[in-house]
Amino acid sequence: MDNKITIGIADMKLAKGNGMLVTYALGSCIGICLYDPLIKLGALVHVMLPLNMETGRKNPMKYADTGIRETLKKMESMGAVRSRITAKIAGGAKMFETSSESMGNIGQRNIESVHLNLKREGIRLLKEDVGGKVARTLLFDVASGLGCVRSYGRPELII
Amino acid sequence: MEIKNYDELNSLQLDTLREVGSIGTGNAATALSTMLGREVRITMPEVRIMEYNEAIEWIGGPEEITAGVLVKLRGQFNGIMLSVQQLDFVNLVLDHILERKIMEYSELMELENSLLIETGNILISTFIGALSDLAGLDIRLTVPAFTVDMQGAILAVPMAEYGGQSNYIMTIGGNFICNEKEVPCRLLLSPDVRSLNVLLRKLGVSDGQ
Repeated sequence: MDNKITIGIADMKLAKGNGMLVTYALGSCIGICLYDPLIKLGALVHVMLPLNMETGRKNPMKYADTGIRETLKKMESMGAVRSRITAKIAGGAKMFETSSESMGNIGQRNIESVHLNLKREGIRLLKEDVGGKVARTLLFDVASGLGCVRSYGRPELII
Repeated sequence: MEIKNYDELNSLQLDTLREVGSIGTGNAATALSTMLGREVRITMPEVRIMEYNEAIEWIGGPEEITAGVLVKLRGQFNGIMLSVQQLDFVNLVLDHILERKIMEYSELMELENSLLIETGNILISTFIGALSDLAGLDIRLTVPAFTVDMQGAILAVPMAEYGGQSNYIMTIGGNFICNEKEVPCRLLLSPDVRSLNVLLRKLGVSDGQ
């Protein structure tokens, strides 16, 4: 695969024109692809938690709210136009079926927060593959705007 | 002085945690040895404090499929303990008890899964039992949960649970040696920061003196 760009946890990277943005093994985390099709500018952010409550906010990309906001800001500074930007997301699984309720379902809370924050920022959500119990690797092809989700024991899915 | 993040631990505290790891892993090895009917020894245990992405590289890459047994710790000590069972370890257990080996995780059936869950549960319970005796802490364990999936996502469970507090994950543990072969034990204890402070205080090293 050419021009593969890997995004770690709590990380974000952009590519323009072409390139394959990849983030591996999303469990309860969510990978959010933001894309301006006209100028072919794509970003992939790997968020881990729904809300940024850190003092100082040193890690904006770790959280759905600040991660989406900062990524959009960055894209706009590179020429993207808000009304053209669309989103595709994957992740938000529950890896372990646990008996104790106190842990909550971080995956589900992440999905809800991503939905809410995309809506708040006026971004259309085109496609998603979220929830369930499987880990996902998300690939996003910046040239075509297509996403691909790879999971264990499940056929590849194009989003 | 209370620590706020794992990376603030001083060398005495790290040594103490390594000792906890040694005793915990040693007890787990004894339990495994009884179960398998074979001698199981351990290597020098390590305490590692790693940033998320570093931890995933350390365990062998995000997409590698593994079996994971997860138990949550409650009571005077809160945390998550994981037994990450890579193929070498799975085959060590399956071979000795069921006299079979697998090439891929997809070959695991109900019986094999139950055996792996129970093995993980025994390792974790003996580790925590030793920790509990040593520090005089009352620790309760939840019923073990099990999955077979990408290890990056399995490791991300304790990270997400304590992600609001820290950018680091702490792991304690060594490797098992059985039949002259070294098998990674990958018992990962991730305490929340408050519980880590409780543990250090109980062991008399909270002020780093």
